[in-house]
Amino acid sequence: MPDESRRFITTTIEVEGREETKVVELPGRALAPWEADAALAIVGHPVARVDALEKVTGAAVYTADRVAPGMLHAVLVRSTIPRGRATVDLEPARGVPGFIDAITFNDLPSGSKPVRAGGVRFLDPDVTYAGQPVACVCAETSGQARAAARAVRLSYAPLPGAVTAAQAIAGGAPPVRARGGNVSRSSPVEASRGDVERGLAEAEVVVRGRYTTSSALHTAMEPHGALAEWHGDQLTIHEGTQGIFAVRDEVAAAMGIPRSRVRVVMEHMGGGFGAKNHAGAHTYAAAFLARRTGRPVRCVLDRAGEQVDTGHRAPCTIDVTLGARRDGTLTAIVAAALVDQGISGWEASTTKIFHELYACPNVRTTEVFALSNTHAMAAFRGPGHTEGAFALERAMDELARELGMDPLAFRLRNHADHDQEKSRPYSGGPLRRCLEEGARRFGWEGRHARSEAPGRAETMPGIGERAGTFPAGGPPRWRRGFGLAAQVWPAGGGPPAYATVRLHPDGSVDVLTGTQDLGTGARTIMAQVAAEALGARLADVRVILGDTERTPYTGNSWGSMTTPSVAPAVRMAAEEARQHLLEAASEVLGVERDRLATGGGMITRRDGGDPVPIADITCRLGDVTITGHGSRGPNQPGVAFTTFGAQFAEVEVDTATGHVRVVRITAVHDVGRVLNPLLARSQLEGGIIQGLGLALFEERIIDERLGRPLTTGIHDYKVPTMADIPDIDASCLAAVDTTANPVGARGLAEPPIIPTAPAIANAVADALGVPVNDLPLAPWRILGAIR
Amino acid sequence: MGIAPGAVLDSPARAAYLTTMKLTVNGREREVTPDPVESLADTLRARLHLGGTKVACGRGECGSCTVLLDGRAVYACLTITRACEGAAVTTIEGLAPPGELHPVQRAFIEQDAVQCGYCTPGQVMAAVALLAAEPAPDEPAIRRAMSGNLCRCGTYPRIAAAIRSVAGRGGGTGA
Ligand code: FES
Ligand code: FES
Repeated sequence: MPDESRRFITTTIEVEGREETKVVELPGRALAPWEADAALAIVGHPVARVDALEKVTGAAVYTADRVAPGMLHAVLVRSTIPRGRATVDLEPARGVPGFIDAITFNDLPSGSKPVRAGGVRFLDPDVTYAGQPVACVCAETSGQARAAARAVRLSYAPLPGAVTAAQAIAGGAPPVRARGGNVSRSSPVEASRGDVERGLAEAEVVVRGRYTTSSALHTAMEPHGALAEWHGDQLTIHEGTQGIFAVRDEVAAAMGIPRSRVRVVMEHMGGGFGAKNHAGAHTYAAAFLARRTGRPVRCVLDRAGEQVDTGHRAPCTIDVTLGARRDGTLTAIVAAALVDQGISGWEASTTKIFHELYACPNVRTTEVFALSNTHAMAAFRGPGHTEGAFALERAMDELARELGMDPLAFRLRNHADHDQEKSRPYSGGPLRRCLEEGARRFGWEGRHARSEAPGRAETMPGIGERAGTFPAGGPPRWRRGFGLAAQVWPAGGGPPAYATVRLHPDGSVDVLTGTQDLGTGARTIMAQVAAEALGARLADVRVILGDTERTPYTGNSWGSMTTPSVAPAVRMAAEEARQHLLEAASEVLGVERDRLATGGGMITRRDGGDPVPIADITCRLGDVTITGHGSRGPNQPGVAFTTFGAQFAEVEVDTATGHVRVVRITAVHDVGRVLNPLLARSQLEGGIIQGLGLALFEERIIDERLGRPLTTGIHDYKVPTMADIPDIDASCLAAVDTTANPVGARGLAEPPIIPTAPAIANAVADALGVPVNDLPLAPWRILGAIR
Repeated sequence: MGIAPGAVLDSPARAAYLTTMKLTVNGREREVTPDPVESLADTLRARLHLGGTKVACGRGECGSCTVLLDGRAVYACLTITRACEGAAVTTIEGLAPPGELHPVQRAFIEQDAVQCGYCTPGQVMAAVALLAAEPAPDEPAIRRAMSGNLCRCGTYPRIAAAIRSVAGRGGGTGA
């Protein structure tokens, strides 16, 4: 901890691979970390989700379930062309029964900075992608609002555009937007260390490959939505968002009112995965229409709106060259990526992982962020690293093959034991432990013993109907393959994050912190940490999240930041409350404070007296409220707070149909202390299943001639179902990270999606004996690869 | 078809010529006056204020709106209320008496078969229908019966474990 007398310092925080420099406040006190062998009664135990009861009984309220008296329903009207000028005629809508109001770009306050949603000007008639909102209507019922939206007449003066990165950067390509060109201002982004020319000259084996990843859509089950209500000059918004404070700030700026006049509330949300980090067109539409009509307005996207206008994982083309000596030592890594951002979006580096994952003195990467006439990208679980890992890990397998080395041995040979980019140590890991433990659990060594030995009949496990046997002799129709891939991801969290803990006279406890539970289990984790630090019973702790007016600030739930950022603040608040509680107990009981402790909801005594329930003390205090405040301190400088993981996949490929079945996946990740193994396993499985979708099915398809998205529903855009799920053995290393923060945990939401697709693709390549370098591995691609 | 609740609230002109119909919902007979092609999901959510039935797609692609119609699992967003005259509908709210849990709900909590919870009511209803039809389903039967209920959070292994635990076949992860 730096200079004790300073209250504010400048520090660096990593969010999804981006580094930000921020001034942060030092917490009032430093907490000693919970050591690896600390006897913890609640943290680290598999306690059930505290909000599971609400969710299994249907009592949990989401945005679309919220109804306000007099509420109107709003529906966005979208452009059907990707580029040009739309003329909006609202007149036909006004005659629809129930119609109340409608807005277009011209109805927005002029003079101020234009409101931006999804990277474009809100309701801009100069459209830059198909699906871009150009108007919003509201009506008494949602059916009437839909009818009114359909009645709006749009006419267009189309302009030529480009809907893929390749089209956008081709010579003579039309501009995709009015100003600024077809690549981002930062492009090309270059990064290098050492001398790759020399590295390639030293290489005895060189492999080259082109790898492509698809545009994946987040496809949260709950669509985006907001309910806006004005009370005088005070605006309240209910929205299922990953960042209540971000939405508050954006809406306040759009409305031209102080942040203190906007309250954003998020109790439950049906998934986010990165697509719900900001106010969107639906939010602004609800807020503006509510102000104009003087009535509450709810705007919830329909499924098509959700699939065409809420962001995507930027599709990439990555050219990779790797060089190594015959002994398997990497001498050069070169990568050039072309990323299709859509019309806008932040630049998630797909090449950073090339600098981090394996030891190599000579690395050079170039990245071009192209813009196209499709909706703006939005961070999607492990953005950039997931796409980069696919290219790098596929190339690593190709190189291992050329070298005649086992893929695992090749990776271990080039293991990076520290952060090479910044020459700093890792707080945890290193990766080696995940690779070795994963290989052991998977049975990597003996894997071929149960593979396609000719002549040996083997019944497929899993789905009965698809079970088959390997024929005796001849090339088998079903081929089995094995693959692995690894992951790194920065997930140390950081300030600012605040929490308050207060005790009621009956001994029950409130934890207040402005974070969000997307379904990750944050609410449960915070309850566990507070109960542990306070010595209370878990059942007595209630966690109140997601209210910009009533809960103290924390940042967006992104970048695997929530647990390592917020849990330390909650612990500190609870520790402070415990100190106050012990002082009060000392006064009430007439026992010296240092002879008192807390645990299991009791004040325990070292003076021979019987333990006393906490409630007995707080009850004696009456309305004198014991309160503790906590905040997240800065990270220790000079250390990389990275997560590690390795995944191993076994697949079966039907060479007649091109169908890939993933038989099993073993995942071992190092995320520091596991605060709740039940929830950790769910997060790992969830990430792996989304990674499996990316590997096998998921792809937004745009008609390249018309520029319109064809995947407008979950029927066209395929996400995994229960029938697609392999046996998953997902676990975390027991590796408490006392350097990271006082609870010893790093983040774990994003790491598990990163290595899944390359592990599966490596297994498919192993099965077929040919490279498979394009995602998703749809049957037509598999058949193309083997013919 | 309807996407959100409130799609179909009565207008006086409609109410004048549409007849009321009877529907038994969670054991209670209810009288409703739905529009001719109103979906059961809209009727439940907007007219009967039963918000537990979620509508994630509104077009039969996801299963989040699954309810029981005379004991069988159906997509409420694709079921026309007027075709359900006299039928018994069970929603997540009516699965167990207030304050109690159906064994499937309890298993979902114990096995952590819940993340964001948006798909959960539909998953629970589909699992209840499966176990009613087939008290000890094997792994392929579980996968077949549940593959019409999407979960983007990826709770599938936990849901399968929850169903196995209720079916009394142990809680392991293997087939
Ligand atoms: S909402 Fe009915 S199937 Fe999706
Ligand atoms: S728990 Fe989130 S969609 Fe299933």
